[in-house]
Amino acid sequence: MRFRAKIVDLACLNHFSRVINTIAKLAKTCTLRLTVSKLYFILSDKVANGGVTMWCELCQGNFFDEFQMEGVAAEHNEIYLELVPDNLSRALKTAQSAKAVKIKLTNKHCPCLRVAVELPSLSSSSRIVTHDIPVGIIPRKLWNDFREPSVPDFDVSIYLPVLKTMKSIVERMKNLSNSIVIEANLSGEMNLKIETDLVSVTTHFKDLGNPAWASEDGYQSSAQDRDLESMAEARIDIKKLQQLLAGQQVNPTKALCNIVSKRIVHFILLHEDVSLQYYIPALA
Amino acid sequence: MKCVIGGAHLRVFGRAIHAIARISDEFWFDPVEKGLALRSVNSSRSAYACVFFSSMFFQHYCWAAVSQPCQEEKQFSLPCKLIIKSVLPVFRCVNVLERNVEKCSIYTNVNDHHITFQLLCKHGVVKTYNLMFQDCDPLQAVFAKHLCPNILKVHSRLLAEIMIHFPTSQEEVTLSVTPMKVCFKSYTEEDTDFSKTMLTEIQLNPEEFDYFQVGVDSEVTFCLKELRGLLAFSEATSVPVSIHFDVSGKPIAFSIEDIVLEANFILATLSDVEKERASQQAPESSKMRTGKSDKTSVDRENSGAVASKKPQWNSNTAPAKPASPLAKQEIKDIPRAVKREVTGTEGTAVTEAEERAALGEAAGAQYQKFHSLFFGAVSCQKDAPSHSFHSLATASDTEEDFGNVQSSPVL
Repeated sequence: MRFRAKIVDLACLNHFSRVINTIAKLAKTCTLRLTVSKLYFILSDKVANGGVTMWCELCQGNFFDEFQMEGVAAEHNEIYLELVPDNLSRALKTAQSAKAVKIKLTNKHCPCLRVAVELPSLSSSSRIVTHDIPVGIIPRKLWNDFREPSVPDFDVSIYLPVLKTMKSIVERMKNLSNSIVIEANLSGEMNLKIETDLVSVTTHFKDLGNPAWASEDGYQSSAQDRDLESMAEARIDIKKLQQLLAGQQVNPTKALCNIVSKRIVHFILLHEDVSLQYYIPALA
Repeated sequence: MKCVIGGAHLRVFGRAIHAIARISDEFWFDPVEKGLALRSVNSSRSAYACVFFSSMFFQHYCWAAVSQPCQEEKQFSLPCKLIIKSVLPVFRCVNVLERNVEKCSIYTNVNDHHITFQLLCKHGVVKTYNLMFQDCDPLQAVFAKHLCPNILKVHSRLLAEIMIHFPTSQEEVTLSVTPMKVCFKSYTEEDTDFSKTMLTEIQLNPEEFDYFQVGVDSEVTFCLKELRGLLAFSEATSVPVSIHFDVSGKPIAFSIEDIVLEANFILATLSDVEKERASQQAPESSKMRTGKSDKTSVDRENSGAVASKKPQWNSNTAPAKPASPLAKQEIKDIPRAVKREVTGTEGTAVTEAEERAALGEAAGAQYQKFHSLFFGAVSCQKDAPSHSFHSLATASDTEEDFGNVQSSPVL
């Protein structure tokens, strides 16, 4: 099992750092899956996570100048690692002006991702800062736990409003209630509602637009026959939503959510090189 | 004592207070003829800070006390002990201070034990802070900087750039030097759980230092938290930082020095158990003492030192960092009053018996320890040295040499 990667371009490094910072805000511990062409940050829906699932996918070619990966076995050419993304975030935080960043999987005292940052210095040789981030190797028999979640059979799919606006609204609502109701319809309308004994607050968004999902084999999904005005809704933990919105450091190219009434809300945030999917289950 | 600090220097003074605040909750305000010294020691005696401002730092500096027919000491110094928490608010928001305050005047009133900080701000606003102080003989670390085989001199910017890579929660850091390279790394013990801890290491070329002298390869571990105060302070003064150290177990000193001020932060370093055993066999003249750190022996040492003229220190010193994985040492104050005209070192004769008893117990300790610093009372030397300001690290040539009069070298 071998892994070596190098980033030399500052813009790529900053972009990668931002992705890691976002992941660090969403999960305390997560799984990093390495394949020949992609990196995945995965959080699977264990009870400890509050049932949320995260799936973040990056194309390594868009970030790394060098990328060599040898998986556990030839026919399973992948590596699954468990790590604390905040450690990686910290290691990259002070690499803003780096000449190069190398990441390597090592096993000195225990399996680690060694991040070596080469910084410019006044002398002839560079300053080297090395961070050893402990990781756990996930054995192959557990790989099934980390399969890509399928897009649910949703009732409504709608584009999200400007994330910054949504974030400030949700942040204020967080002070009043623990749960929030997201409801939307196929006419581009979305409402965020909270309701307590003392107060209820609703924010209305309109003209958001509904993405068209090409159905794979002509099968009419439940969304097709739906009444355009009818709202699909789900009540979710407001903290989870706030975490998702607060973690976004860059505006995504596309941001949408799929609502399965009273079951789950599936958020998809797409950037040029990164896609992030976040599933928040509905509260009972 | 009365002094006035002008606007530009307020920032430096404020940062000095903040830096000292990292060491302990209390500090000594010690005016002497040549200037004003601020000193602090942490509760486990493993860190000592002293910032000395010469009289030239102040717009106005007047030290002569009202002449009193009573004890001789009063005429020459009025050291007092203050609680940092009371003084910090005066110098909060150091950057804002510089913009709004025109000058700060400080004066002491010995009779009713008051010290007054008065900030003359813009637009005629005057803020006055009256604080109580306790008369107290300060401690001073005795540490011969010039005897250290390893000396590094580096601009404060570089030091800050190095330390920024360590998380703020990182307590201890190891500095490892050879003539070819310098390395700062997170401290790890034998029983560190590597699967849970992120380790950071920074390698530097000796060329990056303004001055680089490595006489002996060494690896010293010290507390980073206590140093951070000095880093902020040195950035305010933009004076290079000198690092003097020896092998593990001997203290490490971070100092900055310019025409008007001198600051020394002396931190104890971790020693190896073997070294400790060897030093216990050494004759009683050994200056670096170790002792068991658990509370029971601390109390015993405290009671043993009741004879000292500084009861306040002993009662305040409960071990303050129970969470630290390293045992820190408690050592006794050297009674100052015993023989006033001699230097602090001779005071060891009095407490030797007690210290040897403490050593005996330490022999059983298995874990690594910090060597504590040797403290002497501030000696009331009237003989002014030829150089312009007061150097705090007094020389002590060899451990056996008791009879020498202490001289104060300037580096």
